[in-house]
Amino acid sequence: MAHQLIELKDISKSFQREQTIIAALSPVNLAVRREEFVAFVGPSGCGKSTILNMVAGLLPPTTGQLSYDGAPVRDLNRRVGYMTQKDTLLPWRNVADNIGAPLELACHKTGKTGRMDKIRQMVELVGLKGFEKHFPGELSGGMRRRVALARMLIYDPETLLMDEPFGALDAQLKLVMHDEIQRIVSLGHKTVLFVTHDLSEAIALADRVVVFSSRPGQIKIVRDIDLPRPRDVFRIRFSPRFTELHEELWDELKDEVKKGTDT
Amino acid sequence: MAGSNSGAAASGQGNVLLWRGLLLITLLGGWEAYGRLVSEAWFSRPMLIFARILTWAGDGLGGHVAITLAEMLAGLAIGIPLGTVFGLVLGRLPVAAGILRPIIFGLYSIPLVTLAPLFIFWFGLGLTPKIVLVAIVTFFLLFFTTFAGVQTIDREMIDSFRLLGASRREMLRKLIGPACLAWILSGIKVALPYSLIAAVVGEMLLARAGLGYLLMQASQQIDMTGMFAALFVLMAAGVAIGETVNFIERRALRWRNL
Repeated sequence: MAHQLIELKDISKSFQREQTIIAALSPVNLAVRREEFVAFVGPSGCGKSTILNMVAGLLPPTTGQLSYDGAPVRDLNRRVGYMTQKDTLLPWRNVADNIGAPLELACHKTGKTGRMDKIRQMVELVGLKGFEKHFPGELSGGMRRRVALARMLIYDPETLLMDEPFGALDAQLKLVMHDEIQRIVSLGHKTVLFVTHDLSEAIALADRVVVFSSRPGQIKIVRDIDLPRPRDVFRIRFSPRFTELHEELWDELKDEVKKGTDT
Repeated sequence: MAGSNSGAAASGQGNVLLWRGLLLITLLGGWEAYGRLVSEAWFSRPMLIFARILTWAGDGLGGHVAITLAEMLAGLAIGIPLGTVFGLVLGRLPVAAGILRPIIFGLYSIPLVTLAPLFIFWFGLGLTPKIVLVAIVTFFLLFFTTFAGVQTIDREMIDSFRLLGASRREMLRKLIGPACLAWILSGIKVALPYSLIAAVVGEMLLARAGLGYLLMQASQQIDMTGMFAALFVLMAAGVAIGETVNFIERRALRWRNL
């Protein structure tokens, strides 16, 4: 393969607040292969989400070069689907119409029956059958996250950016969603950047885990996760290799988490 | 908002209605008694006023109401869509909005009544000057509320919609417009009573028909009963308009009340 799908070269980001410049991200280098699942863990405010915003083309890097599929990211990167940390569902649309919204746009135009079919598939996929007519205001936080996930998956973007997608879900449902995500990603040959606070989640899902250090964020360690695929997300936690990886990465992470709480 | 489906709330509502009725009867009864016992010269009294309304009803009141209503509706039909579209578009174009700001505020600062004579010169004695007045007043109300509504839309919401691949047009139609619906409706809610004011003010200055004309005629003849009769009709029109808007708002914004 000639080039990596996503390449960050000396990417840094700082914001200006009045007179002071706040460094959010020190220069980082990272290359993500096509069809790779990369998880970012680290304390809050370490620039993980900033990287997703830059890959999506929503935020230009302060320094460095960011390229996607060999070309620099200058404008919005519409080959990615982005599930932001914040809820961006349309409150006036019910679940089904929220999920189907991307297919109403000219660039993903789908006829009404095709749209209905896909919505039904997605609703089933994220386990929201029976809630199609509910408005976001009537759903729990976890359910809203699943609607957002379905809305991202319905138009089949090649790269998925997910910012703490399952943070609000209870432990059991989280595992069910992990299983689904793993299946979708491998069937759809997706590339994934996945931000999470949950180290177990990162190890269970990812091909590589990137640990960030606290502000200004930088990459502390990148670890290949050599657990064989397909993984049984319900049991993988009990495998000795998982425990080893978890201990190793937790050692890296815990100092940063402590530092984060000191300030 | 008032989700009154419990029994306690329903009986509470019944009590409120009862008290309202009693209050109304007391007020009107007191007025009637004052008119009969002391003087009806400057205040007339409810029985005379209602009798006058009934007489008018058989003698062209419907026509006057229809004229005023027509001016309102025609003016609203111009002012609401124009104000909304301008608000939505300028709301998304901060630079253009900054340039136009002094002009918009300058025009908006002119008191409504002072424009009426100008419009009568330009557009004559018919319905047109009143329609223009209503259109201008409602245009500004809708423009300002819609513009403010656009500013409240979450940045991330807009970004995520752009990432989905929405064009400018789709953005307006599917995100900005619906997101501002509550603002637009509240603008319309304010615009409707103002449209009645604008139409009546226009008629009071110079007209051959309409509720404002009725009021001016009575006033020129120092006909207190006639004036109060006109005011009562105006009040009824105002209440009817308000209730219509509340009804529409409740239906259109169901998702908000969840």
